[in-house]
Amino acid sequence: MTTLSRSWGNMTTLGKVVVPLLLLVLVGGPILTIAVGLWVGPWLLGVLSSNMGIVRFVVAITGVLLFSIPAAFIIIYMELKVIAQMNLRVGPDRVGPAGAAHSVVAGLKVLTKEDFTPKSADVIVFTWAPVIVFLTAVMTFLVIPFGPGFIDPVTGERVGGLVGQDMNIGLLYMFAVGGMTVVGLLLAGWSSFNKYSLLGGLRSAAQVVSYEIPLTLSVVGLILLAGTMSLQGIANQQEGWFTNWFVFRQPLGALIFFIAATAEANRTPFDLTEADSEIVAGFATEYSGMRFGFLFFAEYVNVFIVSALITTLFFGAWNAPIDINAILALVGLTPPVIALDPGSLGIGLLVLIGLAPVVLTALFALPFYLAKSSRPAWKALLIGFVLFNLFAMGILTLLAYIGWGWFAGLIWFFIKSFAFVFVFVWMRGTFPRVRIDHLMGFAWKWLLPAALLNLFLTATAIVVVKSL
Amino acid sequence: MSFIPGIGLVRGMGLTLRRFFQPKATIKWPEEKADVAPKFRGRLQLLYDEYGTLKCETCFQCAQACPIECIDMGGVDTKGRFHVHWGPPETYGERREESALRRSGRPVADTAYAHFEGIDIAPLDAILDAHDYDPKELLAILEETQAEYGYLPVAALKHISRITGAWYAQIYGTATYYRHLRFEPPAVEAVAPAGQAQIAAEDGFRSALDAALGYGGRAN
Repeated sequence: MTTLSRSWGNMTTLGKVVVPLLLLVLVGGPILTIAVGLWVGPWLLGVLSSNMGIVRFVVAITGVLLFSIPAAFIIIYMELKVIAQMNLRVGPDRVGPAGAAHSVVAGLKVLTKEDFTPKSADVIVFTWAPVIVFLTAVMTFLVIPFGPGFIDPVTGERVGGLVGQDMNIGLLYMFAVGGMTVVGLLLAGWSSFNKYSLLGGLRSAAQVVSYEIPLTLSVVGLILLAGTMSLQGIANQQEGWFTNWFVFRQPLGALIFFIAATAEANRTPFDLTEADSEIVAGFATEYSGMRFGFLFFAEYVNVFIVSALITTLFFGAWNAPIDINAILALVGLTPPVIALDPGSLGIGLLVLIGLAPVVLTALFALPFYLAKSSRPAWKALLIGFVLFNLFAMGILTLLAYIGWGWFAGLIWFFIKSFAFVFVFVWMRGTFPRVRIDHLMGFAWKWLLPAALLNLFLTATAIVVVKSL
Repeated sequence: MSFIPGIGLVRGMGLTLRRFFQPKATIKWPEEKADVAPKFRGRLQLLYDEYGTLKCETCFQCAQACPIECIDMGGVDTKGRFHVHWGPPETYGERREESALRRSGRPVADTAYAHFEGIDIAPLDAILDAHDYDPKELLAILEETQAEYGYLPVAALKHISRITGAWYAQIYGTATYYRHLRFEPPAVEAVAPAGQAQIAAEDGFRSALDAALGYGGRAN
């Protein structure tokens, strides 16, 4: 007892606070965990499973919010790097491997900057305008189908899909929520108490509203063909070979959609709302700190959304371009059914987990150890360990790709989407900016008639085909 | 040129895609150093010769060669007569010095016109008084003025014209007729080379050496 009291006397004030708390956590934590597991857990699970819709919605929203920021970071980094390469420069290469952490650090910088509000600004509107812009961008993620649904083991049918909420009016929701961005831009421009901001807001509103019309009209033909506005439904209809993609049935629609989407996402050559190298940054002139960061992020989230939408509507969504099953059937093989059920291995699983890393690491290290006598064993083992990790990752990815349809779909979806992000960045590295009157003239005199023509041709073709 | 609409866009995209895969021009200083010629100095400064005068002859070749047209030169030509200038007016150098100052309301000294003013009139008045303000003795007046000032300042000529009543053109004509009258400070006096005595000493040494070596009668 004397030892304890002496130790207590030796402790600092902070220690006298922290150590009892630590004991409390160490003792109380396990007890609480067990209690939750025994009594609260089942009850909570019951409540959650009886409200599956709400749970699904909250999970989807959280996932979408968590996904949008890294996506924006990746696209910002991609833009810096790709345009630099196209200008024969190296681009960011100081932070992280090949400068990969550059945009993250830039985001942190934005967070630490002073958040300045003009003296006569409408503070409430000024504060909430970036939130509206960002939220409308993020909310459109909700209906994007990232992958095909799970196959129900009982009925053998696809259920749901990797989509936040598979609405039957998904496309309409997409355009409606996307159109709300204009409200945010106008609010941002108006509340800044700056005539240039107001003009910038009006300018971007004029542009976005004008391009909204050909954008929406260009997919009406596709909706007629697909017979549904659910994005998951449209994705399902493009299954099989890449010839099933809607781009081959709606080439004009795809072109108009691409151009209008470029203007909608405020990308070069239609980035007149900001035109950062020429005029004041439009509605964002008075914004600084993280509020500007939100506007900035929303722009790049929009780029991803537009790419994902083009992929979904016209380029087969999560479908692989090649129908591997058809090829296998042609050769005479049945597609392998790999059920990823590690539990079926029983005690063998434990042996595998225990032995595979050690054995494979040694196996991979052996040639490196033997090839060069001056290389110490630990270096060879390190190389072997890295190689083993790459190998294991490759094997697991392959297994997941074969075994899980949604995983394969996710991979194809991201490949295609980022290909279109690359095209947007590529265009930014190439094209000069369009003049404002040319911009509006192009929307109203060319894109709108072309979209109407596309709709007319599609409708005529459907009527003719049905009457045959 | 092209008959397919939009072909220019595609060709532009092709160009940037080719650039994407080409080797990059960036030199990552300080990890990498540029490979420059050994003669390259990279100095952005004007050099002085051994007499302490600027080597720049205001030939404007550097300004002509400057690819981004950032060189803006102004000054007096080599004879000290004319104000010369290269580059757009009202930019850099001039903005900082003359026109900006002029707009600020302060008097600005123009180096090009420095020899038109700023002389002490008193000795000239004494000379004129000695000659009784008579323009017929103009040559003598001018000679004495030059002896006083070292040359004939324009201000002095104007003062003579005003006091004696002679036309400035007449005075200027007289001054330009005689070759010993000059309008500029004389150039640096031709100093005898410092080595003249040394050369004589060397000759003496060499003849002594020749005599000692038995080469007598050698012409120096």
